[in-house]
Order: sequence, then C-alpha cells, then structure tokens
Amino acid sequence: MRQYFKDVFNGLYTILIGMVETWKHLFRPAVTLQYPHARFALPPGTRQQLFCNIDDCIGCYKCARICPVNCIYIDTVKAKPSEDLGKASTGNPIRQHVVRFDIDMFKCCYCDLCTTVCPTECLYMTDKYESTVYERNNGLFHFSKYEPALAAKMLAEQAAEEAAAAAAKAAKAAAAKPKAEAQPAHA
Amino acid sequence: MFGTIGNIFKRQRYYFEDDGNMVVDLDPTAAIEKHNYETMAKARQSKSFPGDEMIVNMGPQHPSTHGVLRLELVLDGEIVKKCTPHIGYLHRNFEKHAENVGWNEVIPYTDRLDYLASMSMNHGYCLAAEKLLGIKELPRKVEYLRVICAELMRISSHLMAIGTFGLDVGAITPFLWAFRDRERILDLFEWISGARLLYNYIWIGGLARDLPAGWLKQAAAFLDDLERNMKEFNRLLSGNHIFIKRSADIGILPPEVAINCGATGPVLRGSGIKWDVRKDEPYSIYPEFEFDVPVGEGRYGPVGSVLDRYEVRIKEIEQSIKILRQAIAQCPEQGDVKEAIPRRMRPPAGAECYVRSEAPRGEIGFYLRSNGTDIPDRVRCRSSCFVHVSLLDEISRGAMVADMILIIGSIDIVLGEVDR
Repeated sequence: MRQYFKDVFNGLYTILIGMVETWKHLFRPAVTLQYPHARFALPPGTRQQLFCNIDDCIGCYKCARICPVNCIYIDTVKAKPSEDLGKASTGNPIRQHVVRFDIDMFKCCYCDLCTTVCPTECLYMTDKYESTVYERNNGLFHFSKYEPALAAKMLAEQAAEEAAAAAAKAAKAAAAKPKAEAQPAHA
Repeated sequence: MFGTIGNIFKRQRYYFEDDGNMVVDLDPTAAIEKHNYETMAKARQSKSFPGDEMIVNMGPQHPSTHGVLRLELVLDGEIVKKCTPHIGYLHRNFEKHAENVGWNEVIPYTDRLDYLASMSMNHGYCLAAEKLLGIKELPRKVEYLRVICAELMRISSHLMAIGTFGLDVGAITPFLWAFRDRERILDLFEWISGARLLYNYIWIGGLARDLPAGWLKQAAAFLDDLERNMKEFNRLLSGNHIFIKRSADIGILPPEVAINCGATGPVLRGSGIKWDVRKDEPYSIYPEFEFDVPVGEGRYGPVGSVLDRYEVRIKEIEQSIKILRQAIAQCPEQGDVKEAIPRRMRPPAGAECYVRSEAPRGEIGFYLRSNGTDIPDRVRCRSSCFVHVSLLDEISRGAMVADMILIIGSIDIVLGEVDR
C-alpha cells in the first residue's frame, strides 16, 4: 500500500520535472521552417539533381561504366578526320559526337561516383532537389544537342561504315589466307 | 454437407466438413490469411492447444514495427505464447548485386543496408576491402575523419532509437527533441559529404571529399549543445517514474541466451556483458581513445530488460561524445584524403577475409572473396539485426501484446539490414 502511494507520488513528481523542461521550450526560437515558403540554405557541394554540361562532354563513357545502377545512357559517333569538334574547356580534345546523353533520374541513386570520374568535370550535381515531374517519361533527362532523328541517322551511318570495314577486313583476311597456306607448299 | 460458418470478408470463407476438418475457400491472393487458417486448422486437428488461442499478425503495415516486419503472434487472451517473425519484405538482393559491380561500386549499396547508420556500413565494408587489397597504412586525417563520422552516426542512430522508443511508450515530445538533434548531425554530414542519408563518403583507402573549412568547429559546437540537450532529455524521459515502471520488467534477455543466440551491440551489453568490438578487437584508431563500454545494470528490475537496453544507448551517446571530443581535438586539418585510394582494385585471386566492426546496432561483419578481377567473387554481410529478430520469440513469450511494441523498439532493428 505504501509502495503504491510512493509510486503515485514519484510518477506525478517526475512528470512535473518533465513539464518544467517542456515549459522552457515555449520561450525558445523555433527550429522548424515553413517549407514551401521558406527554405534552409544548402551547403556547397550538395548532391541533388544531376546535370551535364554537354559542350564539355568528350563521350568517354566513364560515368556510364561506373554507375552502380546503370542510369546513364550514352551513344557516340566517331568524328571523321576532316571534322574538328574543338576542345573541352579543360583542354581535352573532343573526338566524337555525343549523339545521346540521357540520365534516368528515377533510377539514379545519387551516389556521386559519376561526377568524380568525369575527366572534364562536365557532369556535376546541382542543388535542385524538387525534381517531381508529372509524367514518367519526364524523369529521363536528355542532354544531347542532337535531334533523335539525326542521332539515329548518324548511328546507322556509323554502323554501316563499321560493317563495311569489317567486311573489307574479312575479305582481305580471306584473300591473304590461301596465300599464307600456299607458301609452305611451294617451299 | 457444407455449412457456412463465417463470411469474414467478401472473398474469404471457411467451412467445417462433417468430420470437423476446416476447409478454406479463399482468393489465392490472400496468402497470409490462408496460411493463418491452415495453421489454426492444423492446431485444432492435433489438439496441441485447446482453442482459446488466436493468431494475430502484427505488421507488415503496423506503424510500430519499425519497418516492414511481420510478426505472427499466437495469443492466449492478451498474452503472447509464441512469436514468429516473417521477414523478406524489403529484400533487395544486396549480396548478389555486389557480385556484379566493381569493388568501389558496392559502397552505395552498403549505404542501403542499415540506412540509419550508412557511415558505419561504409566503414565496415571499406575495412574489409582494405584488408583484402593489402592497404595497411592510411593517412592520419582519413582515420580521424572516419572515426568522427562513425561516432556521429552512432549518436544519430541512437537518438533515433531512443526517440522512437519513447514514441512506442507513448511519449511524443522526446521523439521530437531527438529528431531536432539528429537534424544537426545530418546537416553536418550534408556539409561534408553532400548527402543527408546515403552518404557513400568512406571509400576504399580514403574519403570521397576533403574536410570543409570550419567543419570541425561546428561539430564541436554541436557536441556542446547535444550534451545540454541530453540532460534535458534524461530529465524528461529517462527519469520519468512511469516510464521506468513501464519498461523495467519486460523483455528480459538473460545473458546466457544473448551469448548463445549471437546477439551483439547494445542488445548484448544491455544484458550485462561487456563486449565491444571497438575495445576488445580494436580496428582503425580506436585504441588511441579513452572511453568506457556501458553495460546494463538492472537498477529497477532484472538485468537485460527493455529499460537496460535503452539506458545502454543513452550512455553510449555520452561515450561517443567523449570519443568525438578527443578526435576533434587531435584531427589534423592538413592532408590529402584521397592519396591512399588505389587506382586499380584487383585483390589477388582466391584472397578472402572477414572483418567485423561495431555499428550502432551491433557487429557488422563483411566476408569478401576475390577472384582476381575488378568485381568481387562473393560479398557476404553478417548483420546484427537479423540475429536480434530471431531473438524476438525468446524474449517475448509471456509478454502482453502492448509490450511487444516496446520489445521491438528496444532491440532497434532496421529491416534494410535484416533482409538485405
């Protein structure tokens, strides 16, 4: 019985101690912010939405290769010897047309590996974090300057050229082979 | 021949045949309910329990199961007779995934194991990978920053644990206070690594980014505030008599059971066993710091209760503050954090290692095996939360349903680490 009243007293007393602590908080400034109307400043180097400055991209595929979730899609077409595509701002020569540079921001895991391997630092993370879109297709960000139709045409041309080159090589090899076989017979 | 006994839901009926067998006629999608009815039918047939028992599913959508955990409770009235945890709702195939990406690309995946303690997961994996690659000496700055980040992560994780534990008991204010302090830690992490939750900051042989100017000063200022706030927190929750009475006698985990089941971390220390990987099997630069290993004392009831585990976490925050003060004072400002990162990561073929480290929730162990290429041959993760889930049946028998919430809260599981 005595223990019971002791517990009741202790319960009320310790609650009062807690009430004093919470009471003090009434006179302290708020730690929250009314989000859509006010925002916290983000620190430098924060990792939010990815952005590619396509003028500096040399099409090296390093970012696409290191991406753990494979969310970067790149297609390149080799520049012809007569074409001069200039240099990136870091001095790296651009040797190929980046006809496709897509980033699927729905797949992206914001791990920051792609930006660290980029040799020209053209791929970086911006401080935009409200990346909500109305349609699923809008989550795929296109950075390439080439129109899809033109890109498809260029890729088809390159594929045809490569196929022709491969066929020529095979023909050459086939032509060289009998000769090589024939030689020991003569000797 | 068949009589309809109940029409519980629209598409679910069960019948009793003439010989007493229960027949379940269900929509095949309702697999969980079907399983329950079958279990009940089996139990009725075998007469293993007389029929007053009831099977209740707690979770996976229950707000207090701390994730997608389903507990199948066999109840006698309000008393838990048996508790079977069902896991796998958050399975993401981490171990198989890791066999398909490079050694350093596994690190973003380790972030997602224990998403409330990502830094500790990164640290554990990197320790193992460094051992495999034969990296012995790391720059001092890297070591100090790793310890600082891991200890801040421990504080953040424990704040979350004690805050939600308070919420489970019914105290809302401590939860908000804990999150206010956790927010400061996340801000610090955002400043140093760029991300707030999944950092990918500790890399094999180094760190992703250098230390920003003024970061250590801010961290020290935060520690001062935290010490004051923890005193308030203790006056509000830890000293509350009702809270103590509520939690001192439930969820008893005897020390022998804890050792036999392989419990680690605060769950093991709450049972009064002084075991901490940082102290007993030191890694990184932990031997240079002075700190204690708090254990459960059982001041208000038997040792190993829910309250003991809670108190161990409170005391560990104090010890982490102690370590952090020493580390921040000694951390060198100058130095390159990336100088020891290997350019090519190819451990010798057949090399293997198992390295464990102390994460906030217990030991996290990584077993790595190499086949001589850029890609791991096997990555196995030994998680403490998985073991703690298996303890649930042991410590919850005889408890009330309302106590189950507290017991789950006190072992502090993260389902991301359980299911992997």
